[in-house]
This record gives sequence, C-alpha cells and structure tokens, in this order.
Amino acid sequence: MTETLVLDPAQQSSTATKPLLKVEGLSVEFGPKASPIRVVNQVSFEVNPGGSVGIVGESGSGKSITSLAVMGLIPSPPGRIVEGRVEFEGVNLLEMQKSRLPDIRGRDIAMIFQEPMSSLNPVMTIGDQIGEAIKLHEKMSREQRRERIIELLKLVGIPNPEGRLGAYPHQFSGGMRQRVMIAMAVACNPKLLIADEPTTALDVTIQAQVLELMHKIRRTLNTAVLLISHDLGVIADVCERVIVMYAGRVVEDADVKSIFRNPSHPYTRGLLQSIPRLKDERSRLYQIPGSVPLAGTIKMGCPFFARCPDRIGKCAEEMPPMFTVSRSQRSACWVTAGAASEANGGATA
Amino acid sequence: MMNAKVEQRIGNDFIKVEGLGKTFSENRLMFGSPASAVRAVDGASFTVRRGETLALVGESGCGKSTLGRLLLRLIEASEGEVTIDGTSLMGLSAGDMRSMRAKMQMIFQDPYGSLSPRRSISQIISEPLEVFGIAQSSRQRRERVAELLTQVGLSPTFMDRYPRQFSGGQRQRIGIARAISVNPQFIVADEPVSALDVSVQAQIVNLMQDLQQSRGFSYLFIAHDLSVVRHIADRVAVMYLGRIVEIGSKARIYGFPSHPYTQALLSAVPEPDPETRTARIILKGDVPNPANVPTGCSFHTRCPIAQDVCKVERPPLAETAPGHLSACHFAKPNPIPVS
Repeated sequence: MTETLVLDPAQQSSTATKPLLKVEGLSVEFGPKASPIRVVNQVSFEVNPGGSVGIVGESGSGKSITSLAVMGLIPSPPGRIVEGRVEFEGVNLLEMQKSRLPDIRGRDIAMIFQEPMSSLNPVMTIGDQIGEAIKLHEKMSREQRRERIIELLKLVGIPNPEGRLGAYPHQFSGGMRQRVMIAMAVACNPKLLIADEPTTALDVTIQAQVLELMHKIRRTLNTAVLLISHDLGVIADVCERVIVMYAGRVVEDADVKSIFRNPSHPYTRGLLQSIPRLKDERSRLYQIPGSVPLAGTIKMGCPFFARCPDRIGKCAEEMPPMFTVSRSQRSACWVTAGAASEANGGATA
Repeated sequence: MMNAKVEQRIGNDFIKVEGLGKTFSENRLMFGSPASAVRAVDGASFTVRRGETLALVGESGCGKSTLGRLLLRLIEASEGEVTIDGTSLMGLSAGDMRSMRAKMQMIFQDPYGSLSPRRSISQIISEPLEVFGIAQSSRQRRERVAELLTQVGLSPTFMDRYPRQFSGGQRQRIGIARAISVNPQFIVADEPVSALDVSVQAQIVNLMQDLQQSRGFSYLFIAHDLSVVRHIADRVAVMYLGRIVEIGSKARIYGFPSHPYTQALLSAVPEPDPETRTARIILKGDVPNPANVPTGCSFHTRCPIAQDVCKVERPPLAETAPGHLSACHFAKPNPIPVS
C-alpha cells in the first residue's frame, strides 16, 4: 500500500502485453430515445490474452448487458450502444461492418449462457450442432469434422462420444448440456470465451465438474475467459481479475486477491460481508440496507449513495471517477480515495 | 454462551416423522412408453423440536420439496406418519386438518409467483386472519396487518399497494408476514432466499432468525445452498434420491460429515476466497433418474469409496455418534480437507 494515489481515472499502467479485449467508456441505453434508461454506464475494462476476468454484480447491475454488448448481441431496438469502444485485438468491433462480425463471433470470441436447454436446438442432434459451428468457420471434410466433434466431446468429458453424436439435447442432463455448449463454444479454438452465469442453473456437484472443465479449457487451449456471475465463490475459483458492477457502473476493478483480501469500495466490502460462508462462526450476517436501485433511476452522484455506510455529502452530487488504490486495484469511491490520499500525506500525483 | 441461548430456544420434540414416503406414478402410456413410478420420498424418519431449525439439503430432484409438502399434507403421503404435537396428521378429517393448518405455514421460493398480483398487500396478509377467524372486524385486521408489516421490516403505509410495486426482497417479507400472521408453530420454508440477490438474502436470513427468536416457532428450512444453511440451521438432514442419507447437528454435519455424499457436497461449494481452496471431491456423472434408482445404496454409482456390498445392500440410517446418523456401509466422520 505504498502506491501513490493517481487521480487520473483513465490511466492504467501500460503493461507489456497488449490486451486481447479492451472495453472503453461503454454505455448502453434502452427504451425510447427521448427518455432513455441507461443500464450500462461508462464501463471500461481489459482482458489479457489467456487471462481470466470476472464481472460480479447483483441483478440489474448491467453485467449481462455488458457481455452482450461485447458480442454485438444487444437487441436493437429497444437497446443501443450510445458510446464507447469495444476493441478486440486492436480493432473496434463497434465500428466494424455488420457483415464481418460473424467472422469473429463464434471463431475468435465464443459465448456460453446460463440456460443450456434454451441455447441448444431441440430438433438437431448434438453432433450436427457442434458440426455447424465448425462448418461456419473452418474448411474441413465431413470425416475430419466428425473426428473433430468426437475430439471436442472427449475434451468436455462426455462419455462414449462416438455413440452420442446422434443424440438430441433432451436426452442429456443439465450438466451434460452445458458441456455440449462448451464444446460448441471452443470448437474453433476461440481466443476469448464469454461465459454468462455458466453454472447458475446447475447443482453444486455438477457445478464443480463444469468449473473443473473451465480450468481444463484454459490450461489446454489457453483461452481467455470473461466470466459473468453473481456468485463470489465461482468468481474466486476461476478469475484472476475481478470487475465489480453496481447499477450499471464499474465500482471496483482489481486482482482477485485484493478484491477478497482488501476490498476498497464500500459496496464490495458489504457484498463480501453479507455472504454466508461454509466456515464462519458469525451468528448474524451483515446486511446492506435497502435494495438494488432500478436501472436508470439514479441520475446523479454515486449509485451506491443511499445504501452506503461511509457516505459523505459529496457522494450525493458527484459520481466518483475510478481512483487508483494500488498498482492493481482501482475503485470509484470518494471516501476510500480520500482516506488513501490522506494516508499518503495528501499526495495526489 | 451461544449454546446456552440455543438450548433455551429449543424445546422437546414437536414434529415426529416416521417412514414417510411418496410414490408418484405415471399412468399415461404415451407413445408406448412403459408406465413408471417415481419414488420421490422413501422412508423418511426424523423429528423437529420446538423452536428448532432443521435444514433439508440436497440437489434438485432429491425430493426435499416433496418432503416439505408431505409434512404439511399439501400432498398426500403414500405411506408413513406425521405427528404434530402428539396429533397424527394422517388421520385428520378435512375439517380438523383445516384448523391444524393455522399451526403450520409455508414460505415459498418465488416471491413473484407466490403473491396474487391482483390483491393488495393488506388483502394478501389478512386472508389467513379471516380464514382462521383471528381478527374479526376489518379494522382489527388492518391493525394486525400494520403490526405484521412492521415486524417484517416494512412500512405499514404499504398496506394498500400491490405486489408489483415491490422488489423481490420486499415481496419475500410480505410472504413471511402472511405466514406468521396466524401465529404458526411450524413453518416450512422452501428455498426462501435462493431467488434473491446476495445483499438482500442476508436481510431475509436475519429476519427469519429474529422472528424465530421472538416467536419460538420451528422451521423446516429447505435449501440447496449449504452456506446459507450453515447460518440458519440447528440440525441438517441431507437427502439423495428420495432418501435421507445423513442427519445430525450442524456442528457434526459441517465439521465431521460421515457420508461420502455429504463430504462431496460440502467440498464442491466454491469458497469466496481465492487463497483457501478445499480439496474438491469431484463426483462422477449425474444424479441417476429417480424413476430408476440404483440397487443397494442409491449413491453407489457416483460414490468414490463404493465397494461390491454397496451395489446389493442398502445401508440403513445408523448412528455414527450420538444424534448423528448416516446411511453408509463405510461411514467415517471426516473433516473436509483444505489444501
């Protein structure tokens, strides 16, 4: 904690590796243009090649919309991206021709969703569905493709893959369907895998299997992962960096150790204290008062103001920018920034 | 000191369940598929003490919700007996059962689906008051509703609003107010916090604990989230494929789980801490089809320590320590290792 406080929110120390994905100042609005509801507000983050970043937040925090925006999957109308950049390997996807997007989507960037049943075609065999993903992006003979599908099913741990090629989704359990989804997603060796609540619909023993599989995918294919989850346990398991979102904004962005050991934003702290754990002796859980505000209802100041135990007058009026707390941790809070600044003798470099 | 408090809260056996079972049979022969019977609950026996919280945990399809509903006779049991405060529930006539229902209430999982969208909050909460003749005049009922809303942390001014005007957490508070309105002695709470956001979940868990402290009722707390259960339960029963495979005090189940399924279940929970990682026991495969339960111990197809005997002989639920029962031939109390 000897870092000097940097008051420039946009500055992040330039690293040797160029980010694979760089999201900058992304804002998404829904509803009529005259009275839009802003559900994602000035969101910025980066994912390095082979890295794993988690976006954590409660319902309405904008985490899923952020991931859909990256994939260019915001339904429009009613939604639209009003500002910002989504750079993938240096190319801004938002300015790219619509017709070229499918080249990247599904090949370089793949996505898996929470509900494996509704993301699979019920009247198409598992083999054909995975084959389709390959056919779209790679030239292969029918025989080669069959080999590749079997290889993929093996990778995701489907027993007897040769025999399951002709099976339909309804013949698989929830956990098995999610494995099939992962097989489809990694069919073309994507550089980035976006997983939106991939284990939320699964039982805990099946979740453990799928998390194990995600680790294996990262190890064997060196795929970068952007994981969206409300479950801090899953985030801690998979991610190296964590973005905390609240009411459409990023409130903290840090390495996983700092988030869990040394959370800076009062919301992150409250969230961590309010979760029950397997090993703790508290007889009462900490509770954050109030509830998550409805999307777009907070127009001024810090979105967490009404529920914050540390708030000061300024918080109601001015949205705090992202302050650098330490080399790998940034947080949008006037109070913690002020305290850190005082600890550093008022130095605001 | 906490123990003394708990001792004080928990009294004698209040509910006794003996050999309770439920078979759902499928009669329709569609496309020539054979008729099948699903044994949703099989031979459940346990007690719930006065003022106690017994948690029922297990994965989807294990029969925990069915068991909760059997206890309230919302579903008729295929066999077995439930005794509440010395009265056998199974033998009660419809009329007697109705008055018994004032003693036993339910809190549901889905705060959106469990409140009628067309009735005001005061109508929703005062309905049980009316049915059981607790508050006669409408003025008395409104006073009582105001009191209940305050007790669950809502403003009495909300009384004339409708469910759609409330968030998930507030709706769950309304559901709780409705459940406690008739002063029940036993509440079945079926996944009451699993649809809620983390920050709101803590509020509801605390509220449920506070109400139990002040009113002394018992909970059957049905949940799949072992961390939440760790907080609220006094005792825990673990179910797998319709059967209770382990039951014991919270301290025993979490500290010294003795059934391999319980051990795997606990080890599978991802801890919100990147630095302490439990050595995860990854179970093979999926939960088998409940219509076709494996022979012997139903867990043997996924069990990491299964032997030949497990395939043929079903282990009885037997005591491994005082008050701690486990249905495993090789039950061994084992703390979850941390790597």
